This record gives sequence, C-alpha cells and structure tokens, in this order.
Amino acid sequence: MAEYQSFIGLEIHIQLLTATKVFCGCRNRFGDEPNTNVCPVCLGYPGVLPAVNEQALLFSYMVARALNCDLSKTAYFDRKNYFYPDMTKNYQISQFHSPIGRNGWIEYETGGELKKVRIHDVHLEEDAGKSIHRGTATLLDYNRAGTSLLEIVTEPDMETGEDAEAFIQNFRRLVRYLGVCDGNMEEGSLRCDGNISINLKGKGLGTKTEVKNVNSSRFLKLSMNHEIGRQKRALEKGERIVQETRLWNEAQSRTEPMRTKESAHDYRYFPEPDMPPFRPSPAFIADVDARLVELPVYRKRRYEAEYGISGDQVQFLTEEKPVADFFESTVTAGADPLQAAAWICTDIQKNLNKLQIGLEESSLTSLRLAALINLVKEGVINRKKAELTLSLMLEEDKDPDVIVREQGWEQISDSGAIEALVTEVLQANPKAVDQIRGGDMKPMGFLTGQVMKLSKGQADPKLVQAVISGKLGS
Amino acid sequence: MDIHELRITAELAMLDLDEREMKVFEAEVSKTLEYFAQMNAVDVDGLEPTTHVLMEENRAREDRTRDENLSDRLLEEAPERQGRHIVIPNVL
Ligand SMILES: [Zn+2]
Repeated sequence: MAEYQSFIGLEIHIQLLTATKVFCGCRNRFGDEPNTNVCPVCLGYPGVLPAVNEQALLFSYMVARALNCDLSKTAYFDRKNYFYPDMTKNYQISQFHSPIGRNGWIEYETGGELKKVRIHDVHLEEDAGKSIHRGTATLLDYNRAGTSLLEIVTEPDMETGEDAEAFIQNFRRLVRYLGVCDGNMEEGSLRCDGNISINLKGKGLGTKTEVKNVNSSRFLKLSMNHEIGRQKRALEKGERIVQETRLWNEAQSRTEPMRTKESAHDYRYFPEPDMPPFRPSPAFIADVDARLVELPVYRKRRYEAEYGISGDQVQFLTEEKPVADFFESTVTAGADPLQAAAWICTDIQKNLNKLQIGLEESSLTSLRLAALINLVKEGVINRKKAELTLSLMLEEDKDPDVIVREQGWEQISDSGAIEALVTEVLQANPKAVDQIRGGDMKPMGFLTGQVMKLSKGQADPKLVQAVISGKLGS
Repeated sequence: MDIHELRITAELAMLDLDEREMKVFEAEVSKTLEYFAQMNAVDVDGLEPTTHVLMEENRAREDRTRDENLSDRLLEEAPERQGRHIVIPNVL
C-alpha cells in the first residue's frame, strides 16, 4: 500500500471578551433577549460611522504577539462583500490586505513532545447575527452582529486528528491565560474549522477539503481522522478529491458534503472607507507586551523540569492561570513545591467542591497555605490534623496557626509525653509486645495506631515509632 | 469587459439585469474599467498605498457601553416581527 502524508490546517475564530461590540457601543453579551443589543451601526443603517474598540485591538495584538507574528504597523480594515441576512450591511468588516499579525508560529505539546505550527495570519473582524429558520420564515437576532471576532489561520502543519485536538486544547488554554476569550467551544466563543489534504509522501499538499461544524476538540480529532481515511480510500480507488466544504455529522461520526450554491465566491475585498488605518504607537505596543504571560505549555514544562511535578498534577496546576498563579505564590511564600502541588490538587480541591466555590472566591490565600504546609514540616501538627485545619481555615477565614491554637491541635513531639503514652499502650497489649520481642514485627503498626488514638491524633507518628522500637529493643 | 464577466459581476451584486440593461452597462462599465486601467498604469513602486485621505488616524473608542438603548425604536421599523425577532421570508 502506498504511503501517504496528511496535512491539517485550522481556521479558528474566537469571540473577544470585550464589554462592547467591535465597531459600536452595544453591549457584547451572550443570552440576552433577541435584538436588545442593537443600534444603527450594527444594524447597518446608512450614514453611520463605525469606530473601532481599542480593547478589541489590544486583545488582537496580544494574541498576534503571543503567536510570534510580525505585527502590522498599519492595520486597516477591508469590506468582505456577501449577501446574507445575518449581516445587514451586505458586507462584513474584516481584514484582508493588512491583518494585525502575519507569519507567526506557536509550539504546542502532545504526548510530552513539543510540536510547531506556523501561523498564516491573525485578523480582527465582526461576527454575524443569528438566524433561525422556521417553516416559511427566517427569524433574525442581531445581538451577536458586530461583536468582535478574531480569526487565527494556521498553516497546514498538523498531521493527525490527535495533533489537531492537542493543538486546539493548547490554543484554548493560551487564550484563556491571556484573558482574551473564555474558550467555550459548546457556546461557540471558540470555533474551529479544519482543512485537510493528503498526498503520496514527498509530493507536497494534496487537494484540500474543509470541515465545518466541529464544536469540541474531540469532534475535531474524530472528523480529521475520518477525513484522512476517506481521502485515502478515494485515492486508492483512483478517484480524485473534490475541493469542497464538508460538515461533521456528529450522530453518524462522519463528514458529508455541504450543499452549496454553485455560484463562484468572490468577496471583492476593498479597504473599508469608513475606518481609518490603525497605527499602533510605541506605548500601545508596550502595553501589549506588558500583558503577555508565560504561556501554559511552557509553564507546564517548567514545573516538570524545576519541581519534578508530573502527570495529572502538573496538568491540573497549569490548566487555569489563577490556579498556577496560586501555586507559584505559595512556593514563593516558602512552601515546598511538591507539598503545595499535592495540597492544591487534592485537599483544597475537595474542600472547594464541598463548599461549591472557586479558589479565587475562597478565603484561602497562598500565604495561609504556605503557613499550613510549614506547620506540618516543622512538626507542629501532623498531616491528618492539617487537613482538618484546612477545612476550618476555609470555613472560618482564619490563619492556620490561630486554628491550631484554638483547637489545641499542636502535635505532641515532647518525647517524655510520648514515652508515657507508649508505656500505657504496651502495658495494655502484652500479646503484641511478646510477638515483637519474638521477632514478628507485624504488630508495630497496630501499636503505633493505638498510641496515636490515645493521643487523639496529636502525637508525632515518627517519634512514636522510634520510642516503641527503643523500648522493645527492635 | 465581456458580457460574461458583466453577468458574474451583476450576480455577485445581486442585480437582476435584463438584456437592454446589460447592453447599456457593458458600455458604461467598460468605460469605467478603462479609467481604472489608466490609474493602474501609473508607476507607484515603493509608495505606501493610501487607503484614506481625509480621515485622522487611530479613531478608536473606549470599550464602554452607551447609556441609551435604541433597540425598541429600531425594532418598530421592522416590517414584520415575531416577539423581538425580525421576520423575513425563509432564506434556506
Ligand atoms: Zn451596535
């Protein structure tokens, strides 16, 4: 069988988290009553003058910079002409000749390996409204019309559905870290179309098809792999691949051709005469740079290399920026990184789930967590008591040492006190003592447990074991 | 411009032209295109394209919502409505 090579490129649209639309002051909000956030500008009335949202520009330049693009020194807008009732003006304001960013690249991680994808361009445009087709009528809602949409076009540098899935997950994390998009694929604030072609190895790109209607990273993987298989089978039968747009059919897990009108698409782009070019000032670019953050993929790899945190823990720590930030400030506050990671990924998570709040809304601070971890390290309380302390810290909004003092939970590390406890337990359990003296160490754990119980969990377990061993000469 | 190109252009512009109109436009559009050809012939190598001549640069606005909401008045202008949706003939 011939050996094929596959090429996947993505066109990603993200809705920017601006308060208002991109060219008018209407509110940008999902889920409002139809046609409440509309004005003469976004309804395309004659004589209106759009003005671009500076926050949308800032977010767009941030994404372009994070994707290592050449930033446009003169970004201007173009009209993309087409007729569809979800766009009242009969053109979409977009960018074609001079997009905000070009010629970028970004690394993403899959299976522990870094891979690189080139970015063709990043451009800012307006979203369309929504139409609902019902019987003989089409219902129109323009709340979304004119909201800011950033399109990111990659080069066809991915090979498999797994690559595409990993890429979009990495990308989603990136835009969330930057705070420019909430990345919700189900609600459509992050949308993705894939284009794909295959060819005999070494022959370059083949004829590509585009797959739309993919609203999760998993469906992206499935649809890309399905399309690779379909194209392979077609080529092996000697058929030609038709350049077309296909839709992902979720129910049937396959792509199928989208019915389109045969008229040639020609958007007749030309510069938007209502919008002057945007030339970013040095201060604007400095602001963009100041808002960039260490990207999640590099943060994850740094935690692995620097702290030896791995697997689900490092994944969890770096998934959301606030969690990663919390972890780092806990370490900065003097906590052991592995301990901090373990607390954040398990105990804290359990408590937050119980209280049904997020980390940021809770009373827990990184200083308090570091203090708690150090109370255990210094032997003031043991791990079990520390877990109870954490619950009270969250419920009562108090420092850990205050809770330990109030509850009288300080660990007994005074060897005199522990010896008294051990003596009492040994006297009460002569059988176990004889067993150990006879060389059978099995009852050690039982005896330690009895001492811990007697101390109401406050004895230092390591010290208890040492004292028992000393007394029994084992 | 040949009549075929004109037909495509009219279609893209959603214009329904009859044969008489096609004849008229064929001549007029050709003339316009000749004018553009003259401009195209000018050597502009090395010059930055001028996209706007009269507008100040960087007309950006702050990301703040407007106080007034005209949506009710705008909706009144729609010829047909269903609740707050604007209704048009099905376009599918
Ligand atoms: Zn508006």
